[in-house]
Amino acid sequence: MSLGRYLSFFSDTYYLNIFVRTIRVSLICTLVCMILGIPTAYFISRTSKKVRGVLMAIAIFPMLTNSVIRAFAWINVLGKNGIINQILGIFNIEPVSMLYTEFSVLIGTIYLFLPLMIITLVGVMENIDNDMMEAAESLGANRIVAFFKVILPMSVPGIITGSVLVFTGALTAYTTPQLLGGPSNMLMSTLIYQRAMTLNDWTSASVIALIMIVTTLIVMKGLNYVASKLDKRGLE
Amino acid sequence: MAEVRLENITVSYDGKNNVLEGLNLKVNEGELLALLGPSGCGKTTTLRVIAGFIDPKDGHMYCDDRDFTRIPVHKRNFGLVFQSYALFPHLNVYENVAFGLKLRKMDKVTIEKKVTEILKVCDLTEFKDRLPKNLSGGQRQRVALARALVIEPELLLLDEPLSNLDAKLRLNMRVEIKRIQKKLGITTVFVTHDQEECFSISDKVAVMNGGVIEQFGTPEEIYTRPKTEFVARFIGFENFIKLHKVDGVLECADGTKISVDDSGDKDECLLTIRPDDIKIVADDYKGENVLCGEVVVRTYLGKSYQYETMTPFGKVVVNDASGTLYNTGDKIRMVLDKAKIVLV
Ligand SMILES: Nc1ncnc2c1ncn2[C@@H]1O[C@H](COP(=O)(O)OP(=O)(O)OP(=O)(O)O)[C@@H](O)[C@H]1O
Ligand SMILES: [Mg+2]
Repeated sequence: MSLGRYLSFFSDTYYLNIFVRTIRVSLICTLVCMILGIPTAYFISRTSKKVRGVLMAIAIFPMLTNSVIRAFAWINVLGKNGIINQILGIFNIEPVSMLYTEFSVLIGTIYLFLPLMIITLVGVMENIDNDMMEAAESLGANRIVAFFKVILPMSVPGIITGSVLVFTGALTAYTTPQLLGGPSNMLMSTLIYQRAMTLNDWTSASVIALIMIVTTLIVMKGLNYVASKLDKRGLE
Repeated sequence: MAEVRLENITVSYDGKNNVLEGLNLKVNEGELLALLGPSGCGKTTTLRVIAGFIDPKDGHMYCDDRDFTRIPVHKRNFGLVFQSYALFPHLNVYENVAFGLKLRKMDKVTIEKKVTEILKVCDLTEFKDRLPKNLSGGQRQRVALARALVIEPELLLLDEPLSNLDAKLRLNMRVEIKRIQKKLGITTVFVTHDQEECFSISDKVAVMNGGVIEQFGTPEEIYTRPKTEFVARFIGFENFIKLHKVDGVLECADGTKISVDDSGDKDECLLTIRPDDIKIVADDYKGENVLCGEVVVRTYLGKSYQYETMTPFGKVVVNDASGTLYNTGDKIRMVLDKAKIVLV
């Protein structure tokens, strides 16, 4: 396999589009999981042990169902005759086509991977002593400032781990983007499957696979770099 | 610098049992008050009420006659030192200390000047670039103190700040805290359950028990004149003898007469005295306040021997540094130092 195969992947706009879309979806998914996951995880980590157990069970619950079933659940919600459009119909609003768009792929993957982010973050945040928050408050920080100046930086290792998990998960997810995105929103994993299984083009499939692995490594390296900038303790 | 008053503070964690019960307390400007008491008596709770972390069910807290009861923690400008130190692990010593100043939106030059100054006072200059995890216990303790002091707080609150240190360091830090506190003239509340620490550092002592203050006074007053049996026991009075009045004279249960300077107005009371204030005397000793007992246990204390003796009215413990040895079963005569007897 020559270098040319890789170059031709990036010079082919069809492939390049899929590549860029995959990266975009994975990054947005990771970002949204971060934004939703951090406050949720902090809230859960501050509750009593008993309540925390219940909340964790609820957070993990989506992970207990099969991803095909979850995708079909979203089809029922987002589809042309889905719940959202039925509600919009009550107010005489034209049905919106949300299914088979990048939006629906995002919804599906975020729903899929948010629990992963929350579990990872709760694991880190529950070890942050309440003293930290109180010390910051006594020094003049209100709760929100204290959160951003103390809790967030101390959670960086968890945020990084969670992000890597979510990003790689979203990058390699197959069923969800396949079912919710349709052919016009194809992602790399679907592309590999199509090349290998449908077209029997194993060479292209392995080129794409390698590109995905390298991408993952680059993103992980990048995240670690950001982390080391944010957290001087380093990621031992 | 400020004067702090707690009035009628009642706190309950579960809504049913009161952890603090109508507590009143006053700390004068520039004074160091020690809160002394056994585990679970409510010392930390009291400190957290002052700091603003706990909303009392009832009562008020005043700082220089301003009602502070509803003012949130971050607006109080009190310096806190936690038992765990609570240093920010992601920030180095300098940044930890500068944290409060940065929040006050001071300019870089002022911050640098203030931090450098306090680091010097606390003897931390050479550690300013270290992370907390690379410091010893005593150094962490000083960083916590510096971080609390640099914001020039109205009030300094310390919750058992020395309990994580070894004996020698505790002694040094105790002197250090006292020195810095006096130098800056800052009003301070210091929580401890160690009576020696408490007496050596404080201007005033509040002895707490079960959510109320049993006695409030100067260290000397508390040390020599405990007002209740609880306080006496807590600060090292080990002998307790029941007395009753016969014709205006106090007597033990077996009729031994006890002479004191002020016999009080109660018909029954408890005599208490430290083991150090009892002397063993010869059999032919003639004088007041002599008790007879039989040695039950002898313990070597280093500079003296401690004898636990059995008397007709119970156990009496005496420390003897005279050098004469007594054995288990020996009958000895002991005289109570009249001036050191306390009635509770
Ligand atoms: N968060 C809480 N919830 C319920 N009860 C509490 C809480 N914190 C303290 N208590 C109870 O309140 C009482 C007083 O506690 P506090 O921590 O003030 O004691 P303390 O004098 O500081 O003891 P120590 O010397 O052990 O630190 C104790 O009986 C304790 O069990
Ligand atoms: Mg305590």
